Amino acid sequence: MPELRKDPIIGRWVIIATDRAKRPDQFSCLAGENPPEIQPCPFCEGNESDTPKEIYAVRQKNTLPNKPGWELRAVPSISPFLRIEGDLDRRGKGIYDLMNGIGAHEVIIETKQHATDITELDEEQIAKVLTCYIDRMVDLERDKRFKYVMVFKNHGWSAGGGRINHSKSQLIATPVNPKRVKEELVGAKHYYNYHERCVFCDLIKQEIEAKERVVVDLDGFIAISPFAARFPFETWIFPKAHSCDFVSLDMAGRFNLAKIMKKTLAKLKKGLNDPPYNYVIHTAPFRRQKAGHWKTIDHDYHWHIEIIPRLTRVAGFEWGTGFYICPLTPEDAAKFLREVGV
Amino acid sequence: MAELRRDPIVGRWVIVETDRPNTPADYACETHTQKGGLCPFCYGNEGLTPTEIDSDRDLNTQANTPGWQVRVVPNKFPALKIEGGLDRKGLGVYDMSNGIGAHEVLVETPYHDKDLPDLMNEEIEKIISMCCRRSLDLVKDKRFKYILIFKNYGPAAGASLEHPHTQIIALPMVPKNAIEELKGAEAYFEFRERCIFCDMIRQELEEKERIIAQNAHFLAFCPFVSRFPFEIWIMPKQHRGYFSHLAPEEIPYLAAILKDTITRVKNVFGNLSYNFIVHSSPANGDTGNESYHWHIEFMPKLMRVAGFEWGSGFYLVPTPPELAAQYLREEKK
Repeated sequence: MPELRKDPIIGRWVIIATDRAKRPDQFSCLAGENPPEIQPCPFCEGNESDTPKEIYAVRQKNTLPNKPGWELRAVPSISPFLRIEGDLDRRGKGIYDLMNGIGAHEVIIETKQHATDITELDEEQIAKVLTCYIDRMVDLERDKRFKYVMVFKNHGWSAGGGRINHSKSQLIATPVNPKRVKEELVGAKHYYNYHERCVFCDLIKQEIEAKERVVVDLDGFIAISPFAARFPFETWIFPKAHSCDFVSLDMAGRFNLAKIMKKTLAKLKKGLNDPPYNYVIHTAPFRRQKAGHWKTIDHDYHWHIEIIPRLTRVAGFEWGTGFYICPLTPEDAAKFLREVGV
Repeated sequence: MAELRRDPIVGRWVIVETDRPNTPADYACETHTQKGGLCPFCYGNEGLTPTEIDSDRDLNTQANTPGWQVRVVPNKFPALKIEGGLDRKGLGVYDMSNGIGAHEVLVETPYHDKDLPDLMNEEIEKIISMCCRRSLDLVKDKRFKYILIFKNYGPAAGASLEHPHTQIIALPMVPKNAIEELKGAEAYFEFRERCIFCDMIRQELEEKERIIAQNAHFLAFCPFVSRFPFEIWIMPKQHRGYFSHLAPEEIPYLAAILKDTITRVKNVFGNLSYNFIVHSSPANGDTGNESYHWHIEFMPKLMRVAGFEWGSGFYLVPTPPELAAQYLREEKK
């Protein structure tokens, strides 16, 4: 019997199609025809002039910006959708609302070598990538026009990774809170108002007890297949200790997060034949406003990372309805990933 | 300068690229050719599908044999099962229930390689009538709260079988996006005592720049807040809550505008993959339908949706709907 499961945070129902379930190993990714990589790679050391001017870099002493000698760089996107200069100019047009496309769109080049995936980096380098995310978020918060920074990674062509395979992540600062984030915040607050507990903390406790959906449990972090997964092998990583804001993660925490990210992503890579994937950091919006400020957000929201391997072709139908059919149970997915040795 | 636009119904923001918009040629969309092979939906292969639920067929022909024009069968691999109770239960912080519902496939034509634009208007009318008939039959089952009618055409749109077909799913709950739309429309109605979709039609007819086609009963346009490039909505001009309550005299007009619209898209992009979804009021609920207005949302598969969209619910639209509508009106490549 297929099951209908409800996401406890935003209330989305999904169908876990248990009966027609494929075995986990049947999902492994087929080698597709991807367009050729851009040559030479603009993100490799020595090709700094092929990117816009760097905003941030971890570099050796006595080296100049936009020259070799770096370990990690953040640069503006070559094809940004949002522009940093200008005013928002909010306005109406009949029943519609609009404003100028103001925002920041940056690319984080995770390593100077031509590594094609973050799992090829060591934990220390991944921790530096996380530090870069945090430093950029803190910097962008100073710009009062922005409400949110979304950090994400598109790996592989069909995940939107483009024609540069060099390991990279992106961030976009937006002048409004994105809808998905708002839904999570509202759902979590609703739960908190009634229970006076964080829904994510409750969920983590329950997952640790139930065990069957746990993928990796390591040094203060936990990776699970969510109960109401939308996609096969969807995986969420949570800090076990409650925290609403990714930016507040300390150095030790960053290193531990690097460890679980590397391990989880390596399992996906090995078990599913290097699938395209996306990950997105879900964190609290900037909390600088005074009036109407959300007073319980420190207690009710819990930052986390959502990883989505792109194995099935999502029909526009799922987009249009918000209604997902997941052909693999999260329990089977978690079991399979637990058993992949990395 | 790009524009941020806000959907007046659900409050979603999208980013519309207005400075350097993509033209149709900028999309590397996959057109596809039919592979053929043994097809359970083809004429003469009726024995390969589960037993038919309904069909439009010649007099004196028997069910599950040739002689049909439109045929509805249960999905061989249904996402939901028709038998059993819902059995809603909790599991700690989680809620769940049995996967009760119906999952049917409407085979649109006996011809393997004819998509909607290749059919005659009368044939499309039969498909539409059958969708209505199945909806009206399924809502008799009080367990079902929503009837979802949609089409996946082409591999990139998630179609697993080539033979053109529409799917009908009866759900025991209202899907999330439908709830959001219903709530948004209701909030607007409460304040203004007008249907937001009717207001939208008025504004579109006045501004004209996003209109693709229209006839006496229907309007096809690229919505101001498109999520995807060349997204198209087809709406009845008169206020109607339910798709399945289509009047017999309206059906030919819907068939004509559907055919016209999809033909235009294919003339611009070739045989591309697409999805469309019928958005209608829920069934067996207590919601009125003063505030909701049924419509079809058509989405050509031109882009891959990337991580940012997944995480944020923010969409990047590289071709402004005004420009998309112009291309479709002029059928310019």
